[in-house]
Amino acid sequence: MKHPSKYFIAACLMLIGFCQNGKAQSINNYIKGHFNGSYENYSQTYMQDDKIGAFMPQDKIGSNSFLKLDYNFSKFSAGIQFESYLPSILGFFPIPTTNQSKIVNKYFKYTDNKFSVQVGDFYEQFGSGLIFRAFENRQIGINNAHEGFDIHVEPTDFLKLKVIYGRPRKLFEYANTVSRGVDAEININSLLKLKEQDNGLNILLGGSYVSKYQEYTGAIDNFPATVNAYAGRLNISTNDVSISAEYIDKGKDPNLLNNLSFEKGKAFQLDAAYTKNNFGATVTYRGIYNMNFISERDVEFGSLAPVNYVPALTKQHDYLTSNIYVYAAQGKGESGLQTDLFYTFKSGTALGGKYGTKLSFNGSLFGALKDSNNIFGLGEKQEKYYRDINMEIKKKLSKKMEITIGLQQIFYNSSVIQAVSNEDVTAYVIAVGGLYKFAPKKSIRFKAEHLSTKNDQGNWASALAELSLSSPFAFFASDLFNYGKTKNHYYNVGASVTKNATRFSLGFGKQRAGLFCVGGVCRFVPAAYGFTATLTTSFAN
Amino acid sequence: MNKLILTTVALMFTTMVAFAQESFPSIKLKSTSGKTIDIAELAANSKDTMVVLSFWATWCIPCINELEIINDVFDEKQAIKPFKFYGVSVDDSRTAQRVKPFIKGKGWVFEVLMDINSELKRSLNITDVPHVIIIKDNKIVYRHTGYIAGEEDNLFEAIKNL
Repeated sequence: MKHPSKYFIAACLMLIGFCQNGKAQSINNYIKGHFNGSYENYSQTYMQDDKIGAFMPQDKIGSNSFLKLDYNFSKFSAGIQFESYLPSILGFFPIPTTNQSKIVNKYFKYTDNKFSVQVGDFYEQFGSGLIFRAFENRQIGINNAHEGFDIHVEPTDFLKLKVIYGRPRKLFEYANTVSRGVDAEININSLLKLKEQDNGLNILLGGSYVSKYQEYTGAIDNFPATVNAYAGRLNISTNDVSISAEYIDKGKDPNLLNNLSFEKGKAFQLDAAYTKNNFGATVTYRGIYNMNFISERDVEFGSLAPVNYVPALTKQHDYLTSNIYVYAAQGKGESGLQTDLFYTFKSGTALGGKYGTKLSFNGSLFGALKDSNNIFGLGEKQEKYYRDINMEIKKKLSKKMEITIGLQQIFYNSSVIQAVSNEDVTAYVIAVGGLYKFAPKKSIRFKAEHLSTKNDQGNWASALAELSLSSPFAFFASDLFNYGKTKNHYYNVGASVTKNATRFSLGFGKQRAGLFCVGGVCRFVPAAYGFTATLTTSFAN
Repeated sequence: MNKLILTTVALMFTTMVAFAQESFPSIKLKSTSGKTIDIAELAANSKDTMVVLSFWATWCIPCINELEIINDVFDEKQAIKPFKFYGVSVDDSRTAQRVKPFIKGKGWVFEVLMDINSELKRSLNITDVPHVIIIKDNKIVYRHTGYIAGEEDNLFEAIKNL
């Protein structure tokens, strides 16, 4: 056996995962605090398929495991996170890694009513995260938890302060940098001792300062080893309307992602929303320039220990075909808009019918900055990066049946988004989905989609069906077929079983190579062919 | 490495025995209507009326399917046995601005809390959404992950019987 220890660790983790329910119950009698934990395993086998470009790596199996344990008693909490990659699934980390099993997070926290302090590894966010965000996203392989301390204080009714100091996680070690920062939020209503308003008026004013230090030993004069960033934000909301704005100014930060540019970075985001009687609308504008804020200046991948979070402000679709062309925010510079409208035609009205009709519309447009570094405005001759116009109608036809129809038009600038020289893509998607309950707790959900385009790989079609015969079992089958150029089928079949907070699923099929984006962060997923198995469970006393 | 893990886990279990009171972490989340809710307080006051937390996101279709059905029968089920219900949105800053217009546009009647950097989700060890938990008398007495049509019946059955 090449790595005997890895099989032992995997077995231990699986055992903990499977046995936790009983264990939690038996210790429940004498544990007086609140204990909880979770275990997650994602495993994939690899087979060769030259047609889709799936290759067989040296390790024919990839397996990611996460075990997290937390304990809370009164004002104290503590926890650890253990991760095991035997090795990691393909494409999970941006750079190849060897087998690793390690406790990656450990923390101790004290929380009082107006004060908390966390020592160890912590997650935190200032404002919208454009200046600072430490977070974890296991699907995308990001964890930039900082090791250090995170203090929250509310010295008065109107003021909230956060102070952080720490070094971010980079893969299995820590980055060779330090982040420190302060965030303050003032509640203007409390400051001015305003009485509670009938219209729900609330005003919040916030400011952040973040500084990153990495030693510089190179030969360039005046090279900034410390990068300072400042942000200010304002949020005004009533019951029906809200407007929020945030501006970030980032100092000179030469790094590999911005080609060692000595220019400053900046960002501006404006959100406005309106809601009234079954209607909701929101509009967001954002302009950014030189906002790749990463811990280590010589890192080539934005997902390795980032300091901030710059998500793509576009809709996350759940259609198989829509996800062929997804946008990734361009940290070097972009500006654009997104809008959403939601409306429900009430039941009993002409368009609502017996059960009501739900309508949603979304549109987004992002492109190059107006001038080289002007983050305000879209510009008349803006180079377009991405545009998505889509709408969806959902209608319950009877107690047993509902139907969804979706339409979408996409413009996708391949050479900017994928950084490869390729033609622009204009594509149209139509999707029809439905749910039919043929007996109590027995149902079938289906979806058919078509993407038409004259560009790139041409047309795609897909079909998906999910069958649930009775809880806890469910079965699914899907196929995504490119009938334009490659004639490739990406089929998947599988089943899942769910009991309480434990879910296991097993699937077999083909995975398309492409950008996989969750929560605005993307990673490139290579083509794969084989089995996938997922086990997740949560437990508590 | 194995020894280290086992020692740490053993230490944690030993530590638990030493304490003598139950509690949830004090995590304060803002609701879409501007209120601040402390989860520890919510759990501490769940002796008579249970608290249901349903973790979801605007990009999670099974979550939305589940919450739409719950919303349709919300008043009817409340009349049988009252319970406090909160949708906990784990939308981060990519989609958080959509949450209030989304729920108002859908006409949802229950309150939604914003867990914008997944603090509560992480603290309660929730891996994926949808994930529903019921807290009663300061304890998690029910939890379910994932959603397939009909699953809501099990939730309402649990609410009725707890």
